[in-house]
Amino acid sequence: MLVQRFGFFGTLTLIVLAAAIGRAAEIRGRVTDPQGKGIADAVVFVQAVPAGAVPFAAQPTAVMDQVHKEFIPHVLPVVVGTQVSFPNHDQIHHHVYSFSRTRTFEIPLYKGEQAAPVLFDKVGAVKLGCNIHDWMSAVILVVPTPYFAVTAADGAFTIAAVPPGTYSLAAWHEGSKEKVEDTAKSVQLGPGNADVSFTLSVVPRPVRVPIHGLRSFE
Amino acid sequence: MRWWARRRLRTKIFLPFSGLILATLLSTLWLINSAVSNQLESNLRAKLMVTGEIFRGLVSERARRLTADTLLLAADFALKRAIATYDPETLATVAVNYRERVDLDLLWITDESGTLLAAAGGHQPAGRDIGSLPPLQGAIAQGREAAALSEVDGVLFVFVAVPVFAPDPIGYLVAGSAIDDDTAAALEKQTGSAVTFATATQLFASSWPRPERVALFPAGRLGDEALRRGDKVTFLVPFRNERLLSLLVPIESTLNAPLFALMQESYDRALQPLYALRRRVALIGAVALVGALVVGALLAGGIAAPLQTLVGAMRDVLAGNLHRRTDVRRDDEIGFLARSFNEMVAGLEEREAIKDTFGRFVSREVAAAVLDGGTALGGERREVTILFQDVRGFTSLAEHAEPDALVHLVNRLMTEMVAAVEGEGGTIRQFTGDGVMALFGAPVRHSDDPERAVRAALAMVERLPRLNRDLATEGFAALRIGIGIHTGDVVVGKIGPDERVEYSVVGDAVNLAGRIEGLTKEMQAVILVSGETAARLGPAFRFGRRDVVAIRGKDQPVEVVEVLAPGDAEGGLVQS
Repeated sequence: MLVQRFGFFGTLTLIVLAAAIGRAAEIRGRVTDPQGKGIADAVVFVQAVPAGAVPFAAQPTAVMDQVHKEFIPHVLPVVVGTQVSFPNHDQIHHHVYSFSRTRTFEIPLYKGEQAAPVLFDKVGAVKLGCNIHDWMSAVILVVPTPYFAVTAADGAFTIAAVPPGTYSLAAWHEGSKEKVEDTAKSVQLGPGNADVSFTLSVVPRPVRVPIHGLRSFE
Repeated sequence: MRWWARRRLRTKIFLPFSGLILATLLSTLWLINSAVSNQLESNLRAKLMVTGEIFRGLVSERARRLTADTLLLAADFALKRAIATYDPETLATVAVNYRERVDLDLLWITDESGTLLAAAGGHQPAGRDIGSLPPLQGAIAQGREAAALSEVDGVLFVFVAVPVFAPDPIGYLVAGSAIDDDTAAALEKQTGSAVTFATATQLFASSWPRPERVALFPAGRLGDEALRRGDKVTFLVPFRNERLLSLLVPIESTLNAPLFALMQESYDRALQPLYALRRRVALIGAVALVGALVVGALLAGGIAAPLQTLVGAMRDVLAGNLHRRTDVRRDDEIGFLARSFNEMVAGLEEREAIKDTFGRFVSREVAAAVLDGGTALGGERREVTILFQDVRGFTSLAEHAEPDALVHLVNRLMTEMVAAVEGEGGTIRQFTGDGVMALFGAPVRHSDDPERAVRAALAMVERLPRLNRDLATEGFAALRIGIGIHTGDVVVGKIGPDERVEYSVVGDAVNLAGRIEGLTKEMQAVILVSGETAARLGPAFRFGRRDVVAIRGKDQPVEVVEVLAPGDAEGGLVQS
């Protein structure tokens, strides 16, 4: 899970960090809509690392996979400076691109894993698409600290191994109407775990409607 | 005709009456029927034509939209790059993607020669050459977009083929929009007409649900009947318990067989208002007919019944019952007829009574006087002038003449004598074989009855020479007559047994008149009147001899006076 989310090196970094700090704790909570329903695929992250925190040991890496003509995962949070690779596990070409201000790039029609990784060195959301498959979309959220988590289907998240301190936490979602800065919450993390919850108003992601063509013909 | 002639009057009135009403009713129904059904049929036909036009419009609109969409797709640079991979698997997903993008039923991607690279929709395998597909063929030939109505795998499509330029054509997009059951159903929803797309060999789509479709097109194609009718002509297709007005509209296509849209609509449902109207008219008509028949029957009865009464009465009258009257009380012509009948029979009865009383020999004048004046026919004593006329020497004449000739002679004489009597308003009372007995003053009285009697006598004499001339030409000897007249009181009235009652006179005066007539022979006189009569004559008469004679059965002698005819010499007859 961790490996998948942060890449091997990212996970390793976290473990090293946790070990170094020694007395790290967890920040837990839920992201819900105003009705209290859990929101999946939201990202909760620490906005700034307190002074004296240990810098990253190594260049972190992450993977945005392409399987069955979809991006996997749909939301990929990475710490700024992460290299993301885009392996294509389909038998067909894909043409990954982003025109986001945070990072504009394009990997023209390719197959397999020959595409070079892309460095995300700026904080912000990078929206991905496939030039020849309109329905394919994904977001790489570049966050400023390595302390982040993606909510599960019930909206729950856990940011592990956070050293004690006072943090500003923010929540982001692809369909949220609020600005990320406006979601910021201050969390005092002592020796024990902290609980924090976010409420976001989210526009649901459009569901891909299968073509209603000829039943007799299909 | 004989049958008709034998029918009773009631039937003769009733049958044409009801027949006329029935004919009016039926012709009205027929008129309504033909007018409304023609109108409805032409409306329905127009509607079917419009449906056909709407379909043509729909096809061309679809082709236009499809062309526009596909042109946009073909201009997509990403597509050009994707085609440039010539990777069928990638292109298959691209085709699906692009089909979704513009909501097509079918999107194929070919290379520049028309070989299928990828297909979204349809069962055409990649690698097949579809360059002969009509729109693609056209697009390849002309280097620009082309559209056509064509068929693939048994489905009818509006196809467009659009070249993908880079900048030379590197491939083609073939997009298809199906003319399927949904299209037909939408068309039916829009227009109300059932629509079927078919050729003589194949049925492509229909708005009819499956079971109806199978029943209507058992062979899975257009029926021979429909094909025989051709387009622009509506025809009726019996289906279940109704009829479908049908119209074939030819659709331009690239199929081998001519394609038609068959528009159908229930004729009977369209005619429902007519049927309702017809039922109502028929009901009203039936009520009117029954009413008319009842009225007709009453009317016919009202005419026939009194007529039958009249006929019955007439039969009775014919049988001799003159007491018969009808009691038809009406103010119309029939009432008038009945009243006239009653009056007529009353008249007949009265006349019969008069005839019974007076015999045949009553002058019309006398009869009128009796009828009008209500002259009493009962017994009455009154002064009457009695005239007897006789033929001199008739007995010897009768002995020598042939009987037929004799009867003829007498009849001729009597005709003249009667005319003379009636000319003066006298009444023939009796024929005496060779003479007459006439009464003046009964039953009709005049102030100058004696003078009338004498004038009648003079008239008899005056008529004689002419008669004698006629008789002479027939070989008869001249007749001579004698006339005796007397005036006196007698009893007049209906005398005799019931069955044979007669208007008669009884009295001595009658006998005396007869005696005076007898005297004419002895006195060689033509006209002799009694003194009583002579005393009642005015100065206009000329008298001859006067005598007083003893009469048998009379105590007193009787005075007789000869009356001279205008041509007689004074005393010219006195020589005897």
